[in-house]
Amino acid sequence: MLPDQRSRSFLDHRVLSRLAAIPFSPRFPMLGTVSGRHASPHRGSSVEFAEYRKYVPGDDLRRLDWRAFGRSDRYYVKEFEADTNLRACFVVDTSGSMAFGSTGTTKLDYARKIAGSLGYLALQQGDAVGLSCIAKGIVKHIPPKRNPAHLMAVFDTLEQTRAAGESQLAPVLHELAETTRQRALMILISDLFVEPETLRSCFQHLRFRKHDVAVFHLLDPQELKFDFRRPMRFIDLEGGPPLFADPTEIAARYLDAVRQYLEAMKQIVLESGVDYHQVSLDEDYEQVLMRFLIRRTRTRGAR
Amino acid sequence: MNFQQAAILLALPLASIPLIIHLINQRRFQTLKWGAMMFLVAANRMSRGYARIRQWLIMACRILALLGLILAVARPLASGWLGWAAGSQADTTLVLLDRSPSMQQTSASGGLSKLETARAQLASTLATLGSNRWLLIDGINPQPRELTGPKQLADAALAEPLSTPADLPTLLEQARGYIEANNTGQTEIWIASDLRANDWDAEGGRWDALRQSFAALGKRVRFHLLSYPETAPGNLAVRVTDVRRRAVGETAELLLSLRISREGETGGTERQVVPLQIELDGARSELTVEMAGPTFDLKDHRIPLDKSQVRGWGRVLLPADANPADNDAQFVYDQAPARRTMVVTENPAAVRPLELAAQISPESLPAGQVESLGPEQAGSLDLDDVALLVWQAPLPEGETATRIERFVDRGGVVLWVAPNAPTATRLFAAGWTDWSTEERIWPLETWRADADLLANSLAGQSLPVGQLEVRRYCGLEGELIPLATLSGGGPLLARVATTRGGVYFLATTAAPQDSNLATNGVVLYVLVQRALGLGTSTLGDTRLAAAGDLALGDSTAWQRLAGGEEAIATPWIYHRGIYASDDKLFALNRPVAEDQAAVLAENRIDALFDGLEFRRVSETVGSRGGLVQEIWRLFLGAMLIALVGEAALCLPTAAKQATIELRGGTKPSAGSPAATQGAAA
Repeated sequence: MLPDQRSRSFLDHRVLSRLAAIPFSPRFPMLGTVSGRHASPHRGSSVEFAEYRKYVPGDDLRRLDWRAFGRSDRYYVKEFEADTNLRACFVVDTSGSMAFGSTGTTKLDYARKIAGSLGYLALQQGDAVGLSCIAKGIVKHIPPKRNPAHLMAVFDTLEQTRAAGESQLAPVLHELAETTRQRALMILISDLFVEPETLRSCFQHLRFRKHDVAVFHLLDPQELKFDFRRPMRFIDLEGGPPLFADPTEIAARYLDAVRQYLEAMKQIVLESGVDYHQVSLDEDYEQVLMRFLIRRTRTRGAR
Repeated sequence: MNFQQAAILLALPLASIPLIIHLINQRRFQTLKWGAMMFLVAANRMSRGYARIRQWLIMACRILALLGLILAVARPLASGWLGWAAGSQADTTLVLLDRSPSMQQTSASGGLSKLETARAQLASTLATLGSNRWLLIDGINPQPRELTGPKQLADAALAEPLSTPADLPTLLEQARGYIEANNTGQTEIWIASDLRANDWDAEGGRWDALRQSFAALGKRVRFHLLSYPETAPGNLAVRVTDVRRRAVGETAELLLSLRISREGETGGTERQVVPLQIELDGARSELTVEMAGPTFDLKDHRIPLDKSQVRGWGRVLLPADANPADNDAQFVYDQAPARRTMVVTENPAAVRPLELAAQISPESLPAGQVESLGPEQAGSLDLDDVALLVWQAPLPEGETATRIERFVDRGGVVLWVAPNAPTATRLFAAGWTDWSTEERIWPLETWRADADLLANSLAGQSLPVGQLEVRRYCGLEGELIPLATLSGGGPLLARVATTRGGVYFLATTAAPQDSNLATNGVVLYVLVQRALGLGTSTLGDTRLAAAGDLALGDSTAWQRLAGGEEAIATPWIYHRGIYASDDKLFALNRPVAEDQAAVLAENRIDALFDGLEFRRVSETVGSRGGLVQEIWRLFLGAMLIALVGEAALCLPTAAKQATIELRGGTKPSAGSPAATQGAAA
């Protein structure tokens, strides 16, 4: 399928083949560029009946339902649902903190696997795929397109991107919300190491723009356990000042802080209608994607 | 605080091990590139103060636990004596016990006496402190008595109370002698005393020498004074001042004079009825007296006697009070002995008035007997039953001098009268020089009216000593105590300090060309009669003496007729009571000084030990507790508490320590408000 036949470290064809059996669909009607598999907010020419509407002057007479006229002596226009394709925009956090990984895989590696696999699946079903690499700002932006060559460009970008710099999620997300055309599937893959409250407005902004927002929140097991024994000198991957701490002294409060953060995040995504997935790096990404796709099939067709 | 295993204290720095481990641990940090810095910063902000305090508390608990362990192993001793210097176990411990009658004072509520308290406390304390050797210096035996252990001090027989004063300087001299003779190592000298002035003789000249000699021994000698300065206000003491048997017609009577003294300043003017019991040859009678001042004198209380009863003994007893040792006074009586005076003169006219004064006794006393000899007959001098020797001749030498010295040691009185031709001979460290050559009248300038031969009368009237006129006097030299001094000249009357008897020098004669002693008369008569009375008191078969008077001879064969405390391990002579030996009767009482309840001030005591390693502790009578107690259990308990505290502080909070489990994700259903809102939009 891939035009250049190059193997990508973040793609596994066996995983892709297993995931291909599950449709990749949005939770809400999307606005695509061409006809596709997904529901559109507009009426169209599909075989799926939508509603009757009174005829108004200017309507195409070919769409009049003569049988209804015969039964009721009134003019009705018969409308059908429209099907369209999907614009899947992957927003990958490439800030310095994404370079962390205690399981042999960094968060950025994990993000590549998720974005690459989902991108491939989307393109397979005729959807457009775009990519935004963000850190302090938008590092790299590839608008969504639906041809395979474009996917190769996306893969190349994913492959070449490196984790560096500090994270400024909120302004970047606001910018993306504003610049991306309405009703796209925005898939954010990040460790979200910002104050949860700053993300609330971002998500609400994205939702206001009718985007279907999905978030893969990547966390390393070590960040969740914090089971160090010795005093540690922590060097900030995002360039902040280093911090010396005795884990025995600080562990309890650290875990408290993490717990509070996750609770707040959960509350925000619930209130914002975001499809939120906490992912630990020691989880198999296939399972994560499987869970993601299966959940989406349950809400498929909602208009 | 002291430690029995002080060497263990060297391990005290080990208590800093937790701190050192902490510091090493801080050094062994790892560096890690970390992404979730925001949580670390938040954790640092959260409850930083308490967490830091908790860490320090844990470390403090660990250090305290180690400290407690080390101190417990060092076997700490607690006492109210916080200034007590820490030290290792003593090589030799010398115990100096004040066993004088005043140490038998009990507490207000009764119970243990000062001596019993001291013995109990010393036994307990010394057993705790430990030593290689324990010795008791009791002042009776010339050598310290070795104890098998400090518990032996509690044995009543070993340190029984005495009726003699404790001569602390002598005890300390014995202690110093022992230390020097045996070259002891670290020596602890424990003194238990009630600080009575008569026991300490603080004004005596021996303290300077003692201080210097102990200072020369260095730091290896340490003094610990266990003092019981508590007095007993209101405590009564009785003393027989005089007892005489007198024949009255067909019968006889005993004239008893006694003095009751009351201790303390507050009791000075209170009226008090004192029931007295008088025991005479075993038969008791009671007499009630009322005293209003600090002292009460009963003069010549008459007790009828059978005429055939010429000698006997008796006691005066007071009701029980704080100090039982001064509640009785013993006396013996007998017919008054003959008042014999031996006169040796080279000029009979010069001493004739003295002979007359000696012959004429007061009516109640036997008539005086006077025998005169020339100096050439002095070789056959028999002084066995002589009370007074008047010697108006050059000072004797050789056998005669020795005989006179023995006479004085026995208690006799010698009155040396100025000789016609003085010689260079010296006796009793004194002698004559030359007669004055200036022809004029030498009036008297000063004389001692408070004591001795020229003392005032009992009514306080002074003798007409100032009317004496001396026309010629003979010079004196030597160690003499002037009793009367001539204006612009030497002493007229002087005495030599002797332990017993009396040695007096009269620097003129009674001849009219020398003085008006004969015409004045009164002074001469009183002087001779008092000298005669002093010499007579040691004669006869009965003797009223102070306990501890070694001149009374060996007391092992004495038979006790009555008495105060029991004598188990010490001779009778150190205990008050009535004793019979052959045909003699002895009444021993505590010394007069014991009734003078002056307590030395603490700073005075401190000054006596100035420059020496000296610690003093004031204890309460009746206290049974030891001076020091082992308190290692306290430290062990503290260690356990510290360990429990450390464990409690280290306990992990299960809920907080649990790691966070991720639950995959959340997904609002399509019908949720947010989803609906999105769909509607």
